[in-house]
Amino acid sequence: MSRALSWLLGGRTPLATHLLLAPASFWLLFLLVIPALGLIVLSFATNGPYGTIVWEFGFHNYARAFDPKYLPVLLRTFAFAAATTVLCLLIGYPVAYYLSFRAGRWRNIMLVGLMVPFWSSCLVAYYSWMIVLGKEGLINANLIRFGFLSEPIGFLYTPFAILLGLVYFYLPFAVLPLYASLDKVPRSVVEAAYDLGAGRWTAFRKVTLPLSLPGVVAACLLTFIPCLGDFLTVEILGGPRYYLLGNLISNQFMMAQDWPFGSALTSLLLAGLVGGLWLYQRWEKA
Amino acid sequence: MTEPISRRGFLKAAILAPLIPSLLAACRRSSDEKVVNFFNWSNYIGKDTLPEFTKRTGVAVRYDLFADEDEMFTKLRAGARGYDLIVVGDYHIPRFRALNLIEPIPAAELKNRGNLGPRFRSPVYDPEETTVPYLWGTTGIAYNRKRIKKAPTSWRDLWDPQYKDRVSMLDNVRDCISVAMQLLNIPQTTRDPEDFKKIRELLVKQKPLVKQYSSASYLNSLVAGEIDLAMTWSGDLFQTARENPDLDYVIPKEGTYMWVDCLAMMRGARHRADTLRLIDYLLEPDVAAGIANSVRYATPNLAAQPKIDKELLNDPRVYPTPAVMKKLQLHHVLDSEQSELWSKTWADVKVA
Repeated sequence: MSRALSWLLGGRTPLATHLLLAPASFWLLFLLVIPALGLIVLSFATNGPYGTIVWEFGFHNYARAFDPKYLPVLLRTFAFAAATTVLCLLIGYPVAYYLSFRAGRWRNIMLVGLMVPFWSSCLVAYYSWMIVLGKEGLINANLIRFGFLSEPIGFLYTPFAILLGLVYFYLPFAVLPLYASLDKVPRSVVEAAYDLGAGRWTAFRKVTLPLSLPGVVAACLLTFIPCLGDFLTVEILGGPRYYLLGNLISNQFMMAQDWPFGSALTSLLLAGLVGGLWLYQRWEKA
Repeated sequence: MTEPISRRGFLKAAILAPLIPSLLAACRRSSDEKVVNFFNWSNYIGKDTLPEFTKRTGVAVRYDLFADEDEMFTKLRAGARGYDLIVVGDYHIPRFRALNLIEPIPAAELKNRGNLGPRFRSPVYDPEETTVPYLWGTTGIAYNRKRIKKAPTSWRDLWDPQYKDRVSMLDNVRDCISVAMQLLNIPQTTRDPEDFKKIRELLVKQKPLVKQYSSASYLNSLVAGEIDLAMTWSGDLFQTARENPDLDYVIPKEGTYMWVDCLAMMRGARHRADTLRLIDYLLEPDVAAGIANSVRYATPNLAAQPKIDKELLNDPRVYPTPAVMKKLQLHHVLDSEQSELWSKTWADVKVA
């Protein structure tokens, strides 16, 4: 038994390597690659009566996707995703820096604290935000009670509420890679900078920050990309005038019962993401 | 605690969690099990209705809820198996039939079908009586009496700029487009793209006033004062008014739509006999009255009428007067081409 295991874990033969990778490969193949291929095939099909799928293939769904009426949705989605990413970095970087350089023995507790929001579904979190932000919610009720306001402010169903929800949900996705890369910055290098006469700010700017850049990039990707497809936040916290790409896609599957068109939109989003990442990698290598 | 593991663990949990109930269900699946799987709107049954059935027959009911009929349809269409009995709006029946999702309920096997009122026998949407009417209601306007000084009387009031950001509309193709058609005097039978352009323009014009398109969460918003004026389904508002007595309901002077939610049997239902027993049970006068008294929608069950709370039975908002009844119309049964025009128009309103 233990011999078999050490043969497997050694991974010195191709067979052992494949076996070791098998669970992950199956996972990716059946839950990612095959569904994605199915989606791409579906995106060329035709929508039949009552949303049935007719297997007549063509580019018509893609032609429809380039209708200029969808441009504002696309731009709005990019704006929200970009704003969320920037805010997550601005808030997340100091947090990650503190965790890695200053938190000391509290670090593990704080890391767990960071993950706590994930223990409940984001649906629950967003409903809690509704209770906090509502006209009779926690904030308004207290502001009125202490005389700062006479009329409640309508926080809900505004861009503010959407941004708050997005930043709230994606912040841990930014903090964790930032923390991981900051934690890897060799303390000796930072100390060397001090020894060579750099002040705290110079040492940070010239040593810590550049060394943590991979984390910054990872944080950007992990917030920006999922934000592009987010629909729940707007569904719950946002109003009808802040319709995002994710809502457009989910509407094709749910309300309009036009799965081929929804698949085409999803494929385009996927293609955009893969293309963007590929360009980024080329640029990084160059 | 490195990042990729946490994230993957989270995603895995997120993906697997919804599967667990169906996995469990799959393990226990057998047709001689005494159970009926019932998929219904949220807040759409009496508190004791199902426990009482189980007590009497020994048949358990696995009860599952939806808050959005498009979502329900998508779930069933995508292959959610295992439901025996579902509740479908009258105007959705053709769509369910076209996709072969439901099978006829044999009227002969129900001894209580005769309890239904004459208005609900061989209706236009289902002349062969393959489904069983469950509850009916109207679409109208809800408003907060304290905050809206002049009671709304017309659908036009939902377009009044003084209510900017205080309005909500049902997130439902049929209701929103029907109302626009009513305001524009366009018949529901139209297929003219020009008509649909006008409908789209009218609904887009309203968008700056609309705080929410919602079919469920707007009720909380009404209670909390987030919005003050809403397109609503009658009974939902009466249920909500228990929490906030300032809420009232108006059937607009233009008239409105009535809809009939029907019990339908899923194709290949595994627990056929028990499903029929449950349907028959739901048709019993006492049971139907119990449901209607609790959810405050109108019952199509004539034999149940004497057992309906007097205050409900005499409330013209629930059981409209004959004069108003005359102005109520059923949603037109759309063919697939029309239904595509409707949903495309609604999708365009959402995007605009």
